[in-house]
Amino acid sequence: MGEQRQLEVSTHVKPALELTSVPPWTVSPTLPDADVTGATWTVIAIGPDAGPVVDTWTAQVTAAHPSAPVTVHRVDDVSSAVAALDADLTAASVGWRLMVAGPAHACLKVRAHAVRHEVADDEMTFASTEVDHRTVLCVHCGERNEAPVGIEDVLPCAGCARNLLVHYHVSRRQGAYLGYQVDAEQLVESA
Amino acid sequence: MSTIDLVVTAIDDSVPGVRSLTLAHPDGTTLPSFTPGSHIVVQCGDVANAYSLTSDSVQPTQYDISVLELPDGKGGSRWIHNLTVGDPVSVLPPRSAFAPILRARKHLLVAAGIGVTPMISHLRAAKQWGRDTELLYVHRPGRGAHLDDIAALTDTARIFTNRADFLGVLPDTLAAQPFGAHLYICGPTTFIDDVVAAATAHGWPQSRIHFERFGVGALDPGEPFTVKLANSGTTIAVDSGVSLLEALEAAGHNIPNLCRQGVCGECRLTVSSGEIEHRDMYLTDADKAAGDAIMACVSRAASPELELKL
Repeated sequence: MGEQRQLEVSTHVKPALELTSVPPWTVSPTLPDADVTGATWTVIAIGPDAGPVVDTWTAQVTAAHPSAPVTVHRVDDVSSAVAALDADLTAASVGWRLMVAGPAHACLKVRAHAVRHEVADDEMTFASTEVDHRTVLCVHCGERNEAPVGIEDVLPCAGCARNLLVHYHVSRRQGAYLGYQVDAEQLVESA
Repeated sequence: MSTIDLVVTAIDDSVPGVRSLTLAHPDGTTLPSFTPGSHIVVQCGDVANAYSLTSDSVQPTQYDISVLELPDGKGGSRWIHNLTVGDPVSVLPPRSAFAPILRARKHLLVAAGIGVTPMISHLRAAKQWGRDTELLYVHRPGRGAHLDDIAALTDTARIFTNRADFLGVLPDTLAAQPFGAHLYICGPTTFIDDVVAAATAHGWPQSRIHFERFGVGALDPGEPFTVKLANSGTTIAVDSGVSLLEALEAAGHNIPNLCRQGVCGECRLTVSSGEIEHRDMYLTDADKAAGDAIMACVSRAASPELELKL
């Protein structure tokens, strides 16, 4: 029992983003071309900045398929986007594609909903018009914090007041970054 | 990999050219369970061939395979067609490379000829678990295998004895699948290519298309090249008509391998320099584009020299 344990402190190394679950389009604004390999399309613009992206996409799809069935939804928020997605998905056949433009945090939530409904990664295209805001899911209390934070920033949880580190992990099914208490091993100063 | 020593317990030759074989442990013990769509590799004399299992997949006491006799093949199917009840047969445990997607809304199964075999275990599992399936099966007149099984397992099968009739219904079938369906294709290479092309034309994404190839066409002998082994610095000449795997074996190298036809993935080697002419069906397009792996049994160098990390 007399063995002295040496605590090893490793220097922090940032992982390469492509090796994490963080989609590159949530880190820098990304405007990919339309996926023209489908047979039918649902195109959703979330917020005013997404309008031009959707116009470009629609033009690209109709250039490739002149009579393409493209349904465009212009909405203000995630819940309207999800409702539009659900309505189109009910009647969809294989060949359907989803393309969403909007703030990255909103796109991630729409993606999470689509993933839960078995939409595959090669059936979804996302354009991010803004990447400053993130949804951070507190692993301690389950609160979803919406804030202008970067990866590795620390923010106080609105649910439990713990100081959350925004970790290099995006949950596909939650559509949120994972946040955990950064100072769990620091002694609390007693008054 | 440990082989399982089985014996032939039944033979069914009722379909012309196709032999259905039942294999079991000599003392009747339970064999390893398998995922629907799995195959076993059977040691057929000097060659090892992969055959899809068509029997029950859960705690089986027998493995059933159906083998089309290929008179001009390498001899594996002829070896099986010469077996009699009671003969010993060595097999490798089941390998899964064509598994159902358990969360799929529906499985659309499309088979040609003896390619129907993996679909039989798919249909068995689908019936057991109440999964939605639809089968399109095209075979030559009088050569339909497992027709009784199909009739017993599903009432959504459409069977064709004419390629044109099949191609006539394929587009509408592909266009009308509910979102969440997955497509499974098995048959000759050209058949698979045709169905994949039709699915892609109807907007099917790659992630929903699954296929299993067999009946690999003979490859051309290829250009001669030299291969350099990075560790020893040795150089080995690979002549036209000789595979890289054969050349390495002749030089005394023991390379793990099974199918020797670019399907199983056992003989994958790491390439450190040189251009590769990929001729296998194992590596993904991304693997092939990366250019650092070669399936030694079929693929060759596209440059005069290839360097292997060996």
